[in-house]
Amino acid sequence: MLYKKKYSSWLHRINPALKLVLLMGGIIAVLFIHNVNVMIPLVAALAGMLLIGSGQPIGRVLLFMLPFLFVFVSTGSSMILFGKGETLWWQWGPAVISRESFYRGVHIGLRALSFGLIGLLFALTTRPVLLFYSLMQQFRLPPRYAYGFMASLRLLPLILEEFKTLQKAYKVRGVDSVKGWKGWWQKLRLYAIPLLAQSIRRAQRIAVAMEARRFNKSIQRTYYYRPGFSSEDGLMVICWVGIFAGAWIVGVQWPLFEITDVRFNE
Amino acid sequence: MKNRFKLKLSDILVTTVVALVFGVIYKLWGPLYYAIKPLGMHLEQLIYGMWFIAATVAFLLIRKPGVGLLAEIAAASGEFFMGSEWGLAVLLSGVAQGLAAELVFAAVGYRKYSVSVAVAAAAAATVGSLLLDSLQGYIGDLALWNLSLLIVFRLTGAVIIAGWMAHWLVSALEDTGVAELVRPVGTATVDPD
Amino acid sequence: MESPAAHNDVLQLAAQLEGLRLRFSSRDTLLFDGVSLRIPRGQKVLLLGPSGCGKSTLLKVLTGLIPEAIELPVEWELRKPLESGGYVFQDPDAQFCMPYVDEEIAFVLENMGVPRSDMPERIRYYLRRVGLAFEDPHRPISTLSQGQKQRLALASALALEPETLVLDEPTALLDPKGTTEIWEHVRTLGRDKTLLIVEHKIAEIVDFVDRVLVIDQEGSLVADGGPEEVQKNHRSLLDRYGIWHADSWAVHDQQYEVAQLSQKNPANTDLPPLLEIDQLKGFYEDEACINMPEVQVHEGEWITVTGPNGAGKSTLLQALMKLIPTKGMSHWKGEAIKNTEQLASEVGFVFQNPELQFVAQTVYEEVAFTLWQKNISEQQVDSEVQRVLKQFGLTEFEDENPYRLSTGQQRRLSVASALVTDRELLLLDEPTFGQDAGNTFAILEELERYRKAGTSLLMVTHDPEIVRRYATRVWEIEDGELKADYAGERVGEQNTGVGHAV
Repeated sequence: MLYKKKYSSWLHRINPALKLVLLMGGIIAVLFIHNVNVMIPLVAALAGMLLIGSGQPIGRVLLFMLPFLFVFVSTGSSMILFGKGETLWWQWGPAVISRESFYRGVHIGLRALSFGLIGLLFALTTRPVLLFYSLMQQFRLPPRYAYGFMASLRLLPLILEEFKTLQKAYKVRGVDSVKGWKGWWQKLRLYAIPLLAQSIRRAQRIAVAMEARRFNKSIQRTYYYRPGFSSEDGLMVICWVGIFAGAWIVGVQWPLFEITDVRFNE
Repeated sequence: MKNRFKLKLSDILVTTVVALVFGVIYKLWGPLYYAIKPLGMHLEQLIYGMWFIAATVAFLLIRKPGVGLLAEIAAASGEFFMGSEWGLAVLLSGVAQGLAAELVFAAVGYRKYSVSVAVAAAAAATVGSLLLDSLQGYIGDLALWNLSLLIVFRLTGAVIIAGWMAHWLVSALEDTGVAELVRPVGTATVDPD
Repeated sequence: MESPAAHNDVLQLAAQLEGLRLRFSSRDTLLFDGVSLRIPRGQKVLLLGPSGCGKSTLLKVLTGLIPEAIELPVEWELRKPLESGGYVFQDPDAQFCMPYVDEEIAFVLENMGVPRSDMPERIRYYLRRVGLAFEDPHRPISTLSQGQKQRLALASALALEPETLVLDEPTALLDPKGTTEIWEHVRTLGRDKTLLIVEHKIAEIVDFVDRVLVIDQEGSLVADGGPEEVQKNHRSLLDRYGIWHADSWAVHDQQYEVAQLSQKNPANTDLPPLLEIDQLKGFYEDEACINMPEVQVHEGEWITVTGPNGAGKSTLLQALMKLIPTKGMSHWKGEAIKNTEQLASEVGFVFQNPELQFVAQTVYEEVAFTLWQKNISEQQVDSEVQRVLKQFGLTEFEDENPYRLSTGQQRRLSVASALVTDRELLLLDEPTFGQDAGNTFAILEELERYRKAGTSLLMVTHDPEIVRRYATRVWEIEDGELKADYAGERVGEQNTGVGHAV
């Protein structure tokens, strides 16, 4: 889990359901941005928000951002090399770089980067338990889904512990001697089956225990956590809309490249 | 009979727990995918199908409507909270792939649990993921040979991993006896037939 | 027409069941075929029976969890379920749905519709009642010991303000200290409540109950009476079902003769030691969790490793086997131990949870797997496997998937597959933990047989009775240090447990 209890910032205090809606909305909005000039200031603004607003040491945030750069290069490169385009820049065997494919590739890379940054923004500042309480209260998510999710999240560390035990047990019994495909296949079964079997049984028992505590008989459910709304949530909405609007204005007013639509359809 | 298809708390819990186990695999799959990608020729697409497996395994195991979609979303959320490279976009993928697989399960009336159903669901999930990719990654703008390669590889991988392998995994789970715990009792009566 | 007296009778009943019939959907035979039971309000009932007889299932029918939460083919002529029951289950890790202590109790209060403003105070109140008075109740459940977790489960049950407490083997996975603490709290908290208890270890609770019910393998009630009466008249039943009662060990002593060893040390100290440890440190997540001074293990020794929970006993075994990072030296027959592989063929290891060490899909292959790694003929493998399966009472299950065995059979299988080739040393992590008396005695008997034949045993256990009877040597571990190392009681007369500190 990315969330750590010890960090805190104003983003932690935003209503989790609202935060989820805003950030998901942001991702969908990004899907409709086809202008690479808008993506550049947007990604810069998101990175800035993450570095300043997440409440985490900058080093930790940068560490998490590192894989995104890799994704940026990797996602962009296949479009740059193998995308359609009219204006040829460079060719080597099947790899063709055209003006169109280059800008489209950069755009896709930036898009992947923005998804990653928005995701980090959420995961670093939201405790899953509070998210589910908020979804139940603000969006009427049926409690059996919310508590079901929370209960299964609790099982993750146990599953990890069991995975380590399996590793040790197989080492003692001399299992990892088989190499190649057959060995891979065997290993898949040796790890997947015990982990799944244990988890399924445990999940079943927890569900029974929850019902024994009258989960299904609840008539007027009350809530231990009641995430509400405050002026900070208003600030968040303004901030979020502002980032997208600002990026749009900057990108349209002061474009870095002459290309305004990487689809080149028209 | 009327309760046969309703999701109980235990169905939801079992689905999400199974999905989270796969969520861990989904998360580990990201770096692997990006490690293969520089090899080029879309070889990485051959392992893409792992990201559909939660839906087929959950359905084959629990055999109720909705668990395929729920599992795929839960696995994606798990992947997300562990810090996926794709951030919140994995949730979109989860919904698209889960919905597509769920359509196949619905088409057979939630009454067939064979390899072919799993394979069909894996293929449908591939289509779902491609639709999202055309929106998100402009894959329609790849050179035709390149796009065909991507589609064929992704489909092949999906059929093997999320179709055939998922079915094999569930059969192995059936051998352990845990599958009986989570399946609907249906019309079984106290006096055995 | 019912007489007013009979009507009054029904009102006095906490639960009633007439003609219960039930089966598991995967089986062809009925678990219960016509069971009837009446439980008056305020009665304290203890349910006993062999494992797999359906005691827990009966509890779930009485509380309504079957068929509400668990669907099974079930029918009855009449059922009056318990109106309000607080439930404590067996597995401390499979009954909580929230990550923090306060949130777990809050979950119950939410279900009850308790106003938010009352919650913090109530949470503290229920925690206090089970002796978990944390300064800040917002603490991760994962930091609690197993015993504390069970008390938290008891607190959650109390938060329902139930008339009945239902306890389904609450101490099966607890050490003796945790067990005693649970029962202490149940005695005070359950005084004015109806109590339904399923247990395997009855010594600490049997004098508190009013009524003992015994169910047999076929799911029929075979005894029903006061605790003294059942213990006196049905002792043989209890022994046959492997129930731990106050005299279980006395029965053991009549059946099994554990040889007293005359020499001071049964080990053949003329031979060089099998295992030499010299300042060995074991690390878990970069922290030294076990620190062993200079000690040796000789042939034919049965060393029990004892100590409180979390003292580092399991870590010690793993450090010896090089399953965790270590510093310092250890030698196996004079050769420095570098990795696990080096030991794997001569040293066996039995983990706590058998299901996390099975490698095969049938019982037969599970045992054969160990032999397949040696270069011997298939014929030889077969005869060895058959011999061991017979010895451990598993022959009839040879084609079964290991997961389908009972926990007792699984435990025997894990020991069997470790012992099928001649081991010189066997490391065991609580091999009798949570087992019924019959299974415990059977495992101990087999281990003693191998010890006599020369295998050395290093076994973690919490049970002082086992230590007293079987250990030739005792290592007491505390806070990751070897606190004491002395000869067991069965060795010589001059050593009656008074050892020397290290």
